[in-house]
Amino acid sequence: MSQNTYKISKKDLFDLFTRLSNDNRVIVPYIKGEQLYFDYFDPKKEDIIELGGVRQSQPLKSFINPPREKVLSQNKTTSKPLIIAGVKGCDLSSLVLQDFVFLGGDVKDPIYEELRQGTLIIGCDCTYAKETCFCIAMEGAPYPKNHYDINLSCIADYFLVDVKSEKGLNLVEKYRMFFKEPDGDDIDIRDRNRGRVMGQIKDHIARRGTKNTAEIKGSVKKNYNLVSLWQDFASTCVECGACNLVCPTCHCFILFDERSKEFAARYRTWDACLYKTFARVAGGANPRKHLHERLRNRFEKKFDFFPHIMNYFACTGCGRCIEACPGNIDLREVLKGLVDGKWNKPPNK
Amino acid sequence: MTKNPYAYIEAEILDVIDETHNIKTFRLKPRGDIGFRAGQFMDVTIPGVGEAPFTPSSNHNVKETLDFTIMAAGRVTKLIHGMKKGEVLGLRGPYGASYPLADFKSKEIFIVGGGVGLAPLRALLYALFNDVNDYKNVILKYGARTPKDMVYKNEIFSWKDRAPHVSIEASVDVGDDTWTGNVGLVTTILKNDNINMDNAVAIVCGPPIMMKFTTFKLLDLGFKDSRIYLSMEKNMSCGVGKCGHCRIGPYYACKDGPVFTYDKIKDLPNIWD
Repeated sequence: MSQNTYKISKKDLFDLFTRLSNDNRVIVPYIKGEQLYFDYFDPKKEDIIELGGVRQSQPLKSFINPPREKVLSQNKTTSKPLIIAGVKGCDLSSLVLQDFVFLGGDVKDPIYEELRQGTLIIGCDCTYAKETCFCIAMEGAPYPKNHYDINLSCIADYFLVDVKSEKGLNLVEKYRMFFKEPDGDDIDIRDRNRGRVMGQIKDHIARRGTKNTAEIKGSVKKNYNLVSLWQDFASTCVECGACNLVCPTCHCFILFDERSKEFAARYRTWDACLYKTFARVAGGANPRKHLHERLRNRFEKKFDFFPHIMNYFACTGCGRCIEACPGNIDLREVLKGLVDGKWNKPPNK
Repeated sequence: MTKNPYAYIEAEILDVIDETHNIKTFRLKPRGDIGFRAGQFMDVTIPGVGEAPFTPSSNHNVKETLDFTIMAAGRVTKLIHGMKKGEVLGLRGPYGASYPLADFKSKEIFIVGGGVGLAPLRALLYALFNDVNDYKNVILKYGARTPKDMVYKNEIFSWKDRAPHVSIEASVDVGDDTWTGNVGLVTTILKNDNINMDNAVAIVCGPPIMMKFTTFKLLDLGFKDSRIYLSMEKNMSCGVGKCGHCRIGPYYACKDGPVFTYDKIKDLPNIWD
């Protein structure tokens, strides 16, 4: 078996990104205030690249299932392969669902398939947790477990490198000069760091009483017809759809056709089930006329439908929807309300 | 390479038949291989403009042409209505499950249609007529708002000539000088008709409110909930169970339906909306 752990210095890593940028679209996380965001690798902005930290503002799906993707046109355009670095455990876990939807079943989505297979994912351990992080309650962890090609764990001024896939191995072999032998205690340091961040998240979960998947199981069905409860949950919802759009597991889209001078094109565009028109048909019928029904639909899809059809809770505990909601609707509090069968409206943030 | 499920083939409009003031039947000649079984649907595209799902209303044994009976209801259907013979549409599909004709063999087939909901049922009727003696009885009950709102006016009453065990009855909500048949909602012409309920199936397609009260009436008459086939046509975009729009409880209407037996969906919320 070939070796699968190495170390790489920050400088060598950025040199590697510079070289890779010739033939690839290299996406890395930058830090701005308290937020991290993905953008193309720019050597001039090396000082604000943060590969550790926590999950970025954009969900991983933004790159593998982009917001507006051409799925049909007369002109076939090819783009350079994608390399995304600094991807966190919560986002990697969302690939279970995105892959199930777009690659599973009788019909595959060839556009997703091509992007997904052509993308190299460089994961990275979280080096701290936000108050909104609750991945552990959703069976996740603040470090990559699956679906990455290479993982980086920050150790002082270098990274411990874990090679997971053949694609990752090929990259390491091609650029072997950048990868060094790891130090003897690197793995211990990595595991201590992981344990520390796990501890932070467990504290957040305990302090807030956030429910876990075992407790949540069955709670949507149990309260399905308790209309007043759902109305309470939705009382500050403004139907903006932000929770859908920032969610790494939300996969719904609508096909949109457009005609330019030369040809007709079809796009796959993100849609949001909180929008009133989501399920409405041309004849006017709408199975979810009321806002609380649409909010309930979101929770039903994530915590009842997907557990039922694929034994997967479609929430990674990334907490993006909590930050994005202008109505301060906190998914953790809604889940608590569902498990307890009553809504204790928390004080405003 | 994986086939692109969002791609369509071209289909030329061979003929446009005015059915009512807002319903037309388009006879299309597909420029490629695209068949279907009665009950399955296809997406009809105006290239560069948009698409909408419809169940063909023609005989599934005929491959050269396909009929789509379309009511002008939304953006795409209104634009389709403006299209003429010789213009080109797009087709992709077929999607969904077909009516289980093998299970219908030697049974009494009780079909209830409302308005433009007769379109997919005409495909079913034609499929039944292909082997009409395989079925014990074929009974159609059709309801429309007024005589002018009936589709397939020129052929509907001739269907009873296909075989002695085919019967057709229609009702209108509001009659006019020409109408000599029943006046009332379609549920007023749903009677037992000496049907042996242990050996009968009912198939319903129409507007949601009509489907709801028809289903309740059929249950009253003694039809089993597992033998009542309902067309649950929801907002569908992709047609292949990925876009998430048409979910009904644990199902996607596009993939697991659009036809469901009532027992599968009766406990799900808002199925009639």
